[in-house]
Amino acid sequence: MADNQPTPQAVLQQLRRELLAQDSDDEYNRTEIVRYGAFVASVIESHDQLPRAMDHARSLIASSANSGQSMASGTVILADEMSMCKGRFTRSWHAPRGGVWGCMVFANTLLPQWRSFISLTAGVACCEAVREICDIPSSVRWVNDVLFEGRKLAGFLVESYTEPVHREEFALVGFGINVNNTAFPAELAGSATSLGRILGRDIDLSLFTTIFLARLAYNFGILYHEEARDLRGDGFSGKQKRHLLLERWLYLSDTLGKRVRYGFDVMNAPQYLAQAIGLDPSGGLILRLADGSMKIEHSGEIRYLE
Amino acid sequence: MSNELDFDELLSRYKTDPFDYVDIFSVHTGRVSFKVGVNQEVASVSGEWLQVPGTALYEINRERNPRIVNAQVNGIVAQINTEFEGQFVEAGVKLMTIKHPLKKKEIIENILKDVLSLFPAPESAKYFFAMDIQSRIDKKGARAVTIESGEEILTMSLMKRDTPVYYKGERGVIHSIYFKPGVSVRQGEPLVGVCAPEMLPLIQKIITRVKAEWDAEH
Repeated sequence: MADNQPTPQAVLQQLRRELLAQDSDDEYNRTEIVRYGAFVASVIESHDQLPRAMDHARSLIASSANSGQSMASGTVILADEMSMCKGRFTRSWHAPRGGVWGCMVFANTLLPQWRSFISLTAGVACCEAVREICDIPSSVRWVNDVLFEGRKLAGFLVESYTEPVHREEFALVGFGINVNNTAFPAELAGSATSLGRILGRDIDLSLFTTIFLARLAYNFGILYHEEARDLRGDGFSGKQKRHLLLERWLYLSDTLGKRVRYGFDVMNAPQYLAQAIGLDPSGGLILRLADGSMKIEHSGEIRYLE
Repeated sequence: MSNELDFDELLSRYKTDPFDYVDIFSVHTGRVSFKVGVNQEVASVSGEWLQVPGTALYEINRERNPRIVNAQVNGIVAQINTEFEGQFVEAGVKLMTIKHPLKKKEIIENILKDVLSLFPAPESAKYFFAMDIQSRIDKKGARAVTIESGEEILTMSLMKRDTPVYYKGERGVIHSIYFKPGVSVRQGEPLVGVCAPEMLPLIQKIITRVKAEWDAEH
């Protein structure tokens, strides 16, 4: 039986807490956001072990499609341990017991211009959950790595999948969060950390996952809420009409102002050094190079130099 | 794809007029203000990381959000639709034409684009080959790798969202690769050029002929 066993009811209960936080100064409608986001974690599968959650999700989506059905959007697949995890490119990802490993199946119904925000959503949700439960100043590094004191606590990767029968497009939101796992392989020892290491104690894995999924639900709700406002011509609901998700990302991130190394695959093929100076309206990172010229990057990754 | 090419006609066209005429359109609705004049030389994007923007061609202002549009190719401004100066235009309106001098390599690529099936980028993003295709290219070279319609050949990467890209087109070998890993490709620009294996000798003939004739006369 799996150790990490959050339930859809518990996630929904956490999500509803957002309604109590309504502030009269907020220009946005939390009830609408909660309704929009409530599909997240409406189904949760907890496994003791899986080779890779994304592969499992693909096979579930395909078998649903083959039987004439569509897989429930928001289904979350969790595994206490994964044996064939991978990060970006061909990087390995260490996923032993104690962490939150899995993915969420999202039937991609967002307009194309908002699909890039899916990745940002995962990082924001995790950082908010870490701050809420552990009360530590975690931060987001563009695009969506969650760090504490420069070390990586969590990483997220979104992979699209088009099922073979009806060609319905899904986004698989993969997550790996170091919670109670405290031992790392030598190649990650200097760059990774876990909540267990930081706090010096274990935390309730199911409770953490419940809160993370509730934050994920709320932030997905924001995507739909802001899309609807944009379509109505109302403008976004953040300060100075900024997209609310970008506002939350900026609040949590320590990227802006940092000197960074940029690369599409920054570990194996770093490209240039620059200073991160802003985020464009589509989530792209605005970088100033040494010669004063600017570039906006919409993919790739950064590492901090200081 | 065509097996019949009139080399003499093609080469003579490029010899008499070795230029591309690149039309520049409004990128969205808005009020236009031109930043260049006719016969002005314009530079394309440059720098090791393509970080230096090209010459500013025009500004378009929509709802008090001004945007400068820069040249993506070098050349001379051949013509400007000056009647749009200060006017509100729809997206996609032709504003000017840049006369871009072609290099030998570009002429070869242009001719090849007539004989290859081009597979365009579905979105503006960065691309890399799917792992299976990359490993086949590494082992045998791209021109020995045959791809078929429906096959996953590339991964499109945008904001840490990786989307498999499935090839649509005639079965063939990957002759030309138009993207570099880590460099953004604009939507609609070709990613790969594909041809039937039996076309390879013809394509090689084109390359050899253009190189020989161009080198002899330039």
